[in-house]
Amino acid sequence: MSEALSTHGWQDQDRPHDMHSELLEINMGPQHPATHGVLRLLIHTDGEIVHKVTPVIGYLHRCAEKIAEGCDYRQWMVYTDRFDYLAPMNMNFGYAVAVENMLGCEVPERAEHIRVICAELQRIISHLIALGTFGLDMGAWTPLLYCFREREEILNIFERLSGGRMLYNYFDIGGLRFDAYDGFAEDVLDIVNIMEQKLGEYNTLLSYNKIFIERTADVGVIDAADCYAYGCTGPVLRGAGVPFDCRKDDPYSIYDRFEFDIPYGEGEKGTIGDCWDRYIVRVREMYESCRIVRQALDAMPDGPIMSEDVKKLVKPPVGSLYTRTESSKGEIGFHIFSDGGSKPFRNKVRSPSFSNLQVLEKVGPGLMISDLVATVGSLDIVLGEIDR
Amino acid sequence: MEATAIHDLLKQRFGDDVLDLVDDHEQGAQVAPARVAEIALALRDGDDLDFDSLMCLTGIDWDGYDETGKGKSVAILGYDESGKPETSDRVGEGDLGVAYALYSHRHGHKFCLFARVPRSAPELPSVSGVWPTAAWHEREAFDLVGMRFTGHPDLRRILLDDEWEGHPLRKDYQMPDVWGEVPMNGQPYADAKWGEDDVVVPPAPAPGGDA
Amino acid sequence: MRKNYTESTTPPEGYDPQREQTLDFAIDEDLAKLTASDDKNFILTTVDELFNWARLSSIWPVTFGLACCAIEMMAASATRYDIDRFGAGAFRATPRQADLMIVSGTVTAKMATRLRRIYDQMPEPKWVVAMGSCAIGGGPYFKYGYHVVKGVDFMVPVDVYIPGCPPRPEVLLDGLMRLQDKIRGRKGKFRAPKWVADYAKKIPYVKR
Repeated sequence: MSEALSTHGWQDQDRPHDMHSELLEINMGPQHPATHGVLRLLIHTDGEIVHKVTPVIGYLHRCAEKIAEGCDYRQWMVYTDRFDYLAPMNMNFGYAVAVENMLGCEVPERAEHIRVICAELQRIISHLIALGTFGLDMGAWTPLLYCFREREEILNIFERLSGGRMLYNYFDIGGLRFDAYDGFAEDVLDIVNIMEQKLGEYNTLLSYNKIFIERTADVGVIDAADCYAYGCTGPVLRGAGVPFDCRKDDPYSIYDRFEFDIPYGEGEKGTIGDCWDRYIVRVREMYESCRIVRQALDAMPDGPIMSEDVKKLVKPPVGSLYTRTESSKGEIGFHIFSDGGSKPFRNKVRSPSFSNLQVLEKVGPGLMISDLVATVGSLDIVLGEIDR
Repeated sequence: MEATAIHDLLKQRFGDDVLDLVDDHEQGAQVAPARVAEIALALRDGDDLDFDSLMCLTGIDWDGYDETGKGKSVAILGYDESGKPETSDRVGEGDLGVAYALYSHRHGHKFCLFARVPRSAPELPSVSGVWPTAAWHEREAFDLVGMRFTGHPDLRRILLDDEWEGHPLRKDYQMPDVWGEVPMNGQPYADAKWGEDDVVVPPAPAPGGDA
Repeated sequence: MRKNYTESTTPPEGYDPQREQTLDFAIDEDLAKLTASDDKNFILTTVDELFNWARLSSIWPVTFGLACCAIEMMAASATRYDIDRFGAGAFRATPRQADLMIVSGTVTAKMATRLRRIYDQMPEPKWVVAMGSCAIGGGPYFKYGYHVVKGVDFMVPVDVYIPGCPPRPEVLLDGLMRLQDKIRGRKGKFRAPKWVADYAKKIPYVKR
């Protein structure tokens, strides 16, 4: 075990020969400022070096899959918001696309464009919080406030659009619930323009900051083989150098009409797949989201926002289907089993953070505790979707 | 590669253990439960197959499934109006099942394996040796549905507490009214009464005019 | 609607990246009179009022964000809905240094015992605010939620309930102000009011 551990400076030959140390089992308990929610990490450490980390989850298990068996398809849309509460419309999007694939219905063009705009703006706000809290974990207090400032501007738009600041229930099966308000396009364009200037600020503050680079480069390296094996998706997979994105490689909705690049980690500041790579992938994805939003605004037509084929009581035909979409944290998949009735027989949610967190058991040993905090922050987990 | 081609390839190798092709919305195959792990290994390592990622592993309780497709499956039990758990004498019957959704990064095709086992002996071989991501997914299937996986490195509950009794996603599961010393009963909503000085909200105008 | 959204890169009018907003203060006249005069001033009050004022002006919450409401709590402590102007901006990670527990989010069976333990570790005087409909009464998970405790008041005595799913940050601030009113009206005992002690005794101490 000792040769597998690599630390910053402390070598095994530095250890005094008569020091009999045992492993200390400590708890980064469910209430902790750096665990991004109610996650418990059971750590076996030798001093500062972690030998084994066991994530314990389930402190936010809210029985959403059981509720799905008791309520309608449309009613369950409300619960999908609460999975990833940082980017709820992405969850709505995934579920709506999943049910629409089963129904085989066509969503009107205007609804598709507004959906894409909303999903990309949600990606931006989710990444803003990811960056802000990641900086907070590293000890940088200012970027969090900057990120929240931008987030508030974007939440203004969502509030005018759907009535809610954070949890929307805006997408509906077959389209949207409300149409975009007058001035929506101008507001979104203003935000996107501001965003592109602000991203330069974040880069100055945090991304290329020497201390931040020292804390995150070469730390928590997750390589591509581990990502495939453990099912990591999203910025974790892209940070490991694999340019895979559901929007491009398994397209859904109208993403195949837009031009955008997939940023992936190249080991600029350290090894490929370290925390800095995952962080910079998120920053660059925000630029790409701005690009997609502009193209969607250009192409947005007028028209209806709700499909005519979808009846009031949604009843997909018998069978099952697994559909996945790209959320800000990774690939969110809904495996829906239908018996022909108005309530699902089984709705399984495959959340990206569930698999992303599993890789911590492999990558954790050998890190110091503060590096563990950095790695957990760079995985960008949300307990709402891990525990459902 | 098309699902029928994959199904034929599997049938050549495994014969009768590969059952029907599933082709309604989802492309896949129903397989015999005893050989799931070997079939999974063949799917991962086969030349044109290369299913290197397990997208999703779902535990299902097929109790009370309405085969006719009219949607009359058995209803689940919840908490009633006064907050007490609903009870029923119905005993669950039917199979337990697992669905594996697979994807190949190299070829870009998807496939879904279904396996069903009787409720009295819910055992399936674990695929965590084939795809390490299955470790947690199988723990979740064990936790919520009660499916046991032989060969799993660490089969224990993941979402619920280690000492929880019952498997909640089964159709005959009755909600708990207390767990340890934590009360799980609901609060009654039916008894809420308006006081005299509460504000009375006039009914909303009927929809019409601008939508 | 405008055309050419892809080419337009100018920020909106009046946006100056160097200076975000101009700050406009209105001077508080009474305070100016009080602080500007040359005479020596006396302030007459009771010890109760003084201590209550000290307590309500610096309520330090413990970081107990459980779910979605935690994000609105974070937004309330960010720059737009600054909670620090109420004195409550110093979120303490340890309950031993905190006065207030804002239970923001769903309390599940697994988490309930830990919540009780954190509450017990807080020193007197302490207050609890139930933020969001999950903490008030189970929220949207009340019917089929086998793992959800239907309201945090099954576990700890609650002072203020803030409805919403999630409540806006302004509502959280409003709830905080009501808590401040509650503290302002306390009749100076240095231990918990009787109803809190009675309620806390009724809830069994969970030994897990």
